[in-house]
Amino acid sequence: MSSGPHTTTGPLPIGQFVKLVQSTVKQDPLFQHQALRGEVSQWKIHNGTVYFKLRDDDGQLDCVIWRNARLSVDPSIKEGSDVVVIGSLDLWPKRGNLQLVVRKIEPVQTVGVLEETKRALIEALKHEGALDRPRMALPGMPKHVAIVTGAGSAALSDMKRLISNRWPGLRTTVVGVLVQGDRAVNELVRGLAVTRALSRADVAEQLGLPPVDVVIVGRGGGSVEDLWAFNLEPVARAILASPVPVISAVGHEQDVLVSDLVADARASTPSNAVEILVPDRHSVMMMLDDVDMRMGDAVKRRFGELRQRLMLLTTQLKHAPGKGVFRAKEHLATLSSRMNRSAEHSISIQQQRLARLEATLIASHPHRVLERGYTMVQNDEGDVLTTLASLQQGQTVNLQFADGRAAADIHTIEPKEEEK
Amino acid sequence: MTDEKITYDEAVQRLESIVAQLERGGKNLDETLAMFEEGTTLLRQCQTELSEAEGRLAELRLDEAEHLVAEDA
Repeated sequence: MSSGPHTTTGPLPIGQFVKLVQSTVKQDPLFQHQALRGEVSQWKIHNGTVYFKLRDDDGQLDCVIWRNARLSVDPSIKEGSDVVVIGSLDLWPKRGNLQLVVRKIEPVQTVGVLEETKRALIEALKHEGALDRPRMALPGMPKHVAIVTGAGSAALSDMKRLISNRWPGLRTTVVGVLVQGDRAVNELVRGLAVTRALSRADVAEQLGLPPVDVVIVGRGGGSVEDLWAFNLEPVARAILASPVPVISAVGHEQDVLVSDLVADARASTPSNAVEILVPDRHSVMMMLDDVDMRMGDAVKRRFGELRQRLMLLTTQLKHAPGKGVFRAKEHLATLSSRMNRSAEHSISIQQQRLARLEATLIASHPHRVLERGYTMVQNDEGDVLTTLASLQQGQTVNLQFADGRAAADIHTIEPKEEEK
Repeated sequence: MTDEKITYDEAVQRLESIVAQLERGGKNLDETLAMFEEGTTLLRQCQTELSEAEGRLAELRLDEAEHLVAEDA
């Protein structure tokens, strides 16, 4: 305590004493920026300033929220609300009463309500299958990474540093957003809408970039309240709406966030997301070189083997002519037997045809006609005479019968009457 | 052009299987040549994909980013 001029000269003026108490209270860190819990009573608002008492069964204290503190007060707070306040103790010398100047006030149940909302959201997402949906695989080699995170945040610097270590010059587009506070949800959703647009081929083409093929959304660690935007439905929906895989990358240890549940991959921190996603350029190049070399070696070896086998075969052929001749003979034998078989076949067909011809010939032989009672007339030269015109008066002709022949002289020639 | 549709991951996997088969040997000349040819094509594809990842890092504020995509949307 300060030793004022009046400490030894009699009673202290009350105003001075009260001011002494005030300065003591204001200097003791125990009474400044202290978090306190209690029940609200006598809640009154006057000219924008809120007056109330914070109490529990063992005590109470006057509290004030000054109008110029511009504090957003949860409208659900009312008489009897269980609240947590952060405030500093002060003493109002004119009235001599202690009061707590409140800088922050939250209903205690809010955290409970939030938890309840989160649980209900998870239930709903589970019910509609969003949590069991098949996850998109992260690209082995991302061509255009989009990052939605706090502009200028430590998380972003960490990610940038790690990217340039692993894959210098990896094409990356960062969309800087607010990741905590009242506007975080809105900005995260808008940021994800931007990455959705960038993943469209037509938009990307206009910008002269390959389409975004993977998105990291996240922020560094913080209190449950700080991270709360990642537990809210609009953000979850925006993640689900992404046509390319999304990595949820929020720094936190225990609680699982809704964004972790709906994303295609979950990273424990933003840096971890980069580790999961971005391959190490050096090792990839080594791997490809290795593959190239091994492939070349294997093919060369195989060619060598095949050439050797060919040489071996040639040698074998040269040194074993008997085998070759034997094979050729065998082959010839097979061929000739096949030829013979087909020749025999065609001969038998010819024979059948001949037999048929013979039968026809026999059937049409003149003798067969003569046997039926007709007679054939021939001249001396043996020509068959079939008309009167070929006959002459006094000519001698031969009459051919089936069983022999006779000579006859022509003495009358009478053509048919109508024929004239 | 369906060959271009396979992803980088699939290309690397196929490459590894080709190398393993070639190293195991026993394939005839035609098969060996065909595999070597495929492997070389895949290797080239992988290298192209890797070079396609090279770009720059663009850092945009939300409103800038929205403006950028809105112009082309």
